[in-house]
Amino acid sequence: MKASKILSIAWDNLKQRKLRTSLTTLGVVIGITTIIAIASLGEGFRLEVRQRMEQGFELDVLIVFPGSFTAGLTGGFSQTDVENITKISNITAVTPLITIPTAELYNMTDVKLGAFTVGAVNFTEMKEILPLRFRLLNGTFPQSEENQSIVLGYKASVVNGTIVAGVGDNVSLIVKSSSEYVVYTNNFTVSGVLEKGGTSGITNFDYWSFIPLDTALNMSLINDNPTPYQIILVKVSDPQYAESVAKEIENLFPPYSITVFVPSALMRQVDNILNIVQMFLVAIGSISLLVAGVGIMNIMTVAVMERTREIGILKAIGAKSRTVLGMFLAEAVLVGIIGGFIGAFTGYGLSYGLAQILSNFMQPQRQETVLQAPETQRMQISPVFSPEWTIVAFVFAIIVCIIFGLYPARKAAKLNPVEALRYE
Amino acid sequence: MTIILGVKDVKKSYRMGKVLVPALRGVSFEVEEGELVTIFGPSGSGKSTLLHLIGCLDRPDEGEILIDGANVLKMSDDELAELRLKKIGFVFQFFNLLPRLTALKNVQLPLTIAGASEGEALEKAEEMLRLVGLEARMNHKPFELSGGEQQRVAIARALINNPKIVLADEPTGNLDTKTGWEIVQLMKELNEKKGQTFVIVTHDPHVAETADRIIHLKDGLVEGIKEAPKRNKP
Repeated sequence: MKASKILSIAWDNLKQRKLRTSLTTLGVVIGITTIIAIASLGEGFRLEVRQRMEQGFELDVLIVFPGSFTAGLTGGFSQTDVENITKISNITAVTPLITIPTAELYNMTDVKLGAFTVGAVNFTEMKEILPLRFRLLNGTFPQSEENQSIVLGYKASVVNGTIVAGVGDNVSLIVKSSSEYVVYTNNFTVSGVLEKGGTSGITNFDYWSFIPLDTALNMSLINDNPTPYQIILVKVSDPQYAESVAKEIENLFPPYSITVFVPSALMRQVDNILNIVQMFLVAIGSISLLVAGVGIMNIMTVAVMERTREIGILKAIGAKSRTVLGMFLAEAVLVGIIGGFIGAFTGYGLSYGLAQILSNFMQPQRQETVLQAPETQRMQISPVFSPEWTIVAFVFAIIVCIIFGLYPARKAAKLNPVEALRYE
Repeated sequence: MTIILGVKDVKKSYRMGKVLVPALRGVSFEVEEGELVTIFGPSGSGKSTLLHLIGCLDRPDEGEILIDGANVLKMSDDELAELRLKKIGFVFQFFNLLPRLTALKNVQLPLTIAGASEGEALEKAEEMLRLVGLEARMNHKPFELSGGEQQRVAIARALINNPKIVLADEPTGNLDTKTGWEIVQLMKELNEKKGQTFVIVTHDPHVAETADRIIHLKDGLVEGIKEAPKRNKP
């Protein structure tokens, strides 16, 4: 018997029992809807998280810290260390950073600026390494790497909505010891204010202020330190080299004496975790499809019993066992195809609906936090239409239908024609 | 004359719970091509069992059944199905038409199973239905047809693949005497016109008498074979 004919007979049989067919198909629709919705939402969530991470970290910038979680985060880097790192291939720029601990900034009316960290940097190199983040809102970068200029982060310049120090203003830098004893004080002129970074992540400079590197190196509290640098920023020519370069940097130092933060590795890790979570959710969603499969098996077993006599007749007039098997399997496959098709549509429909609801739940919290600006907390998940997932779900639906349809179909195929004809 | 059907010392038992009930206890006979043979006997004599064996719906426990020279016992299930499809036509007591299909579709079915094209099957089915005198009721479903009409559809279905043997299991058993007689006459007519071999199982002596030969079956054994002299062979 021709396959097309078997399919058309199966289709007729399904049409004959519309309610039953619809209910059986509904099971598959629910299963596929769940899988597609979870998969497309998960994919959307992943993209959103990835985008977040890209906003928070430059993927081509490595951050090198002294010490390690194992040995303690202490110490610093010498100029030789910086020069050694520069020799590694696939690196486009290296710049050291000095962070001045316990530094406070005041304007001329003794109002404390909103700076939490005062850093000393080479402005030219910083601009090269972090061109998107290290941008001026107004003013200019210091003309020389050694003068009494200071660049303020946006939140250092603006406290509670009022500008406490602007371009041209003088500010005083006070460094205190742990016993509140002033160990250093000097005046600086604000030459520029950085653009609002706004995003979370390590390289958000909103609460930083920067003075020229050489100025800091000449300070009495730093100039006798052989390892003055607390951070080295390394820019690689392409994010794909990030990890190999990180490895090479680690090899320059004794084990556990430094830490290289590799944003792309972190991101890959997060991506892997999200992947696992997504798979897990899809697996749970798949259970509903298995339930639908059991429904198919149930209905088909009943159908085989009801149609025992019909099967007997078909066999008596010369239908082979595999023809009978094919007829019943074709019904299961058709249910899978129709259910999968409808389920794909309803799945994407559901995921758009859920995305709306979820996005509303993730409203920004109305509080100022140090690391996260409120405007960055709003998450907008949009489901991702993935042809791969659609095909996978569709094929899965058909496979489940075949597997669960196989038992009743085999039962039908194996019927003894004499007994089947006698069946009332 | 060629022997189209050979039955040699066929035995068949059924298991009823723990008891083995013998239905056929060594039946032998032969049927020539073009004959119309009736298997006659009271109920429980093993007629239907014998017909199922000849029709390849079941296999004997012992003995040989030869259809058109081929030994049924040695065939696989698929080969038996093929044999039923190509060489055997069935007519049942309860017509056994598929209730959801029209007369025309019911008649087409064996050709469809054999893989014929829709057009060919349709043309052939119309021809068969005309042959049994049902050209006016082709598109009716079984429940819209009388018993006699349903049996005619069944006969048309049995004939569509041009089988060597047509087997009928109590074809008049579910019909009134007049209609039953018409059906028997139709089969006789087809037998004469198309030269196909007919084997009819019946417990009705009137039906049995229409045959060329009557095989009497009793308690699973052939009691006697009677030639019917009435028929004038051409």
